[in-house]
Amino acid sequence: MPDPRLEARGIEVQFGGLRALAGVDLAVGVGEIAGLIGPNGAGKTTLFNVVTGVQDSDSGRVLLDGEDITAWSPHRRGRAGIARTFQRLALYTGLTVHDNLLATWEAVTPGGVLGRNRQQGRARVNEVIDQLALGSIAGRLAGQLSTGLGRMVELGRALCANPRILLLDEPSAGLDPDETAQFSAILRQVAGGDGDRPAVLLVEHDVGLVMDVCDHITVLDFGERIAHGTPAAIRDDPAVIAAYLGQTA
Amino acid sequence: MRLLGNLWPLAVIGLFNGAIYGLAAMGVVLTYKTSGIFNFAYGGVAMFSAFTFWQLRDGWGLSQWIALPVLVLVVAPLIGLVLERLFRPVTALTAEIQIVIALGVLAFLQALALLIWGGSPRILTSVFSTDAFNFTSKLRIDYTQVFTLIVACALGAGLWALLRHTRLGTATQAVVDNRDLAELNGVSSDTVSRTAWIISTMFAAIVGVLLSAQSKLDVYTLVLVVIFAFAPAVLGKLVSLPMAFAGAVALGVGQSLITYWGSSGTIANFYASAPYLALFALLLLYGRQLKELRAAFQPVTSAPAARPASTRKLIRVSGTFGVVALLLPALLNEARLGNVTSGIVYATIALSLVVLTGWTGQISLAQFSFVGVGAFSVGHIAQANGAGFFWAAIVGFLIAIPLGLIVGLPSLRLSGLYLALATMAFALTLDTMVFSQRRISGGTTGMTIPRPRLGGFSFASTTRFYYLAVAVFAIFAVGAALFQRGPIGRRLQMIRDAPLAASTFGVNLTLTKLAVFALSGGGAAFAGAMFGAMRRSVSPSDFAFSASLTLLLLVVLGGRALVGGAVMAGFVYTLQILPGLSPYLRYIQLGVAVGVVYVAQYPDGPLTVAAERTRRYGDLMRSFRQLATKPPETADA
Repeated sequence: MPDPRLEARGIEVQFGGLRALAGVDLAVGVGEIAGLIGPNGAGKTTLFNVVTGVQDSDSGRVLLDGEDITAWSPHRRGRAGIARTFQRLALYTGLTVHDNLLATWEAVTPGGVLGRNRQQGRARVNEVIDQLALGSIAGRLAGQLSTGLGRMVELGRALCANPRILLLDEPSAGLDPDETAQFSAILRQVAGGDGDRPAVLLVEHDVGLVMDVCDHITVLDFGERIAHGTPAAIRDDPAVIAAYLGQTA
Repeated sequence: MRLLGNLWPLAVIGLFNGAIYGLAAMGVVLTYKTSGIFNFAYGGVAMFSAFTFWQLRDGWGLSQWIALPVLVLVVAPLIGLVLERLFRPVTALTAEIQIVIALGVLAFLQALALLIWGGSPRILTSVFSTDAFNFTSKLRIDYTQVFTLIVACALGAGLWALLRHTRLGTATQAVVDNRDLAELNGVSSDTVSRTAWIISTMFAAIVGVLLSAQSKLDVYTLVLVVIFAFAPAVLGKLVSLPMAFAGAVALGVGQSLITYWGSSGTIANFYASAPYLALFALLLLYGRQLKELRAAFQPVTSAPAARPASTRKLIRVSGTFGVVALLLPALLNEARLGNVTSGIVYATIALSLVVLTGWTGQISLAQFSFVGVGAFSVGHIAQANGAGFFWAAIVGFLIAIPLGLIVGLPSLRLSGLYLALATMAFALTLDTMVFSQRRISGGTTGMTIPRPRLGGFSFASTTRFYYLAVAVFAIFAVGAALFQRGPIGRRLQMIRDAPLAASTFGVNLTLTKLAVFALSGGGAAFAGAMFGAMRRSVSPSDFAFSASLTLLLLVVLGGRALVGGAVMAGFVYTLQILPGLSPYLRYIQLGVAVGVVYVAQYPDGPLTVAAERTRRYGDLMRSFRQLATKPPETADA
């Protein structure tokens, strides 16, 4: 594995009597796409929330490029390059698509809210708009978009945050097959591009997509890591099959 | 021991009031539990019921044993049903909308009562005998107090038993726990919430009759007293009826004990503000533990349509405004120009709230408290001829900033309903504890405020002051419009639309919210200096909670998302004080209240909604035309 960009060590979260995460370990390297799968309620989104800092963990540490960020506030993590998309769209509905991206760039850039380096920000936003082919909707209000387009804008927003790690929470939910194919192409492009490539952590129910794009996969069930390995290894793992069959049966 | 001997009679006296507060607290909790609506209009219902009772008994001369059942068993349930019907469609909308509608209902009831019964207070004698007897050598009580206690406790216990031991109670609990699941199991949540609203309104009627026997009956007093009950309701986290009742009794006793140290001056202020202070403290203390039930109703947010103005539009609008503003003094006589000036000053104040409520999504019911800070600062610091006015206004601005931070403090952990309650508690505390002090505000007579003077130039004449007001408003408005278009406007919109996402992407919510509260307060204080100079004299009642309430409603009506909303708020305000309209004035308030209840669901106000509709139809027509000329694209991207 390349140098780990994001590491989570022994994360535990307890909600009352419910153990949402029971000592989960996870590592994603620079330029890697890692998958995080598991049945509903396995703790995937909770893990995302711990990494972004909106959920405190009861124990465990989160490291970004080797630096311990466990005690950091969410906005400090955001500025440090932890970017995410949301399972339920959380766009700035009253801003245009363009301004959603620009506002995000301003928020993560020191002095951005005071209008510093404005040209640079606009350039980055236009770059992302081109990359994701959002040009035709750039002037529309984000609140008026379909779910599929909304997910694209969420991805664009995350890309404008100069991400070192990109957390994608079910990005293909609500996308049609064409959009999903387009999405996985973009994802590869993002992680495989040159320059400072982000690490990607992908929570996804579309197992096909996960197997297709991920370098390695972690499987959670009832807050515990039950398997970890390459897509091929995960496909044949008896524990994984049991967990998924257990869910569907 | 002697202290205890002197205190216990006071404690017993406190029980009587506490029990009435308890009924009110239970009434508020009951509807919140079952329908997710916090009834800010509860005091309004109590007040309206008390007036109805006065009408039936004292006005029409009915026996009170007919009047009382008619009120409690016929009028109150009807009001309850109307309210339930009114709120049912909005249970799924955001807390802000529900709050504004409830406040609109409160303003409606006040305006309606004013229209029917006029502004002069009534004396509503007790339904029970006021003969007093010596309970012990130290405690003399009357039969009204005894019966009040008995009635309140019986009703409280009755409600508790009803919810505990009947099918209706089980159904209520089912709806509280999980509305959808209850529906699936054959419980009609509509029936449950209808029953709850009826019982709650009946309680409000009884509270109104019992409370108004103690003081004069007018449109405002009772509303403020019923707010006492909000603190105990919050103590029970808005779900526990026994906690609400117990808390209310404790509050009544505690309040009564304060009188041991006297009943005038600072202690009187403390007596009056204790329930509001308790509410503020409780909200801060509970913080994140307070959950909004609304979450269980799956909120649907309406997509706001506000867009910052384009540069061209900005120049066009401000140009038109400037030309009209320059011409007006030539067209209007002095009195009318004075009216326009007050509208402009009011619009300046409204603008400070638009930034907070419209752009950032934080409700504040304390905005006029800051206006008062500005006005009183000028009254103290500026000289009688107006010299030093602007320095004084800046001092007011600076004083308002830390106060704004205090109001903003709850916003860090609370939102929606609880934030609204906290800002209301803050405003009422400031009203009763600070502004009521003669040293600060000049007491009920108030203080005179000079028109400003800059160097040797005086703005005392109507025309000059008008120009000054226009200039101040223009600076505020253009500044706000430029901010809204830039990074700061985007930042505030982020917080309003998706606070969690904003925080994840590097926005420091704490800092931003506090900054907005502080600046909004400061802006209101500066506008308050102008407000004082416009009035030439001010008294605490100018900055009472009801002024903040009216302001919020006007801003909602005008469209809280745009600068134009502030202008419209100022315009409607001017209407209210135009001469020649006095016979219709009361209808304006009524109209505003009805308008707010109607437009509350559209955050951008009626004008914007109309514009947006037009634009949407325009887009639709254009896309039809495009369809006719070229083949549609297969995908958006």
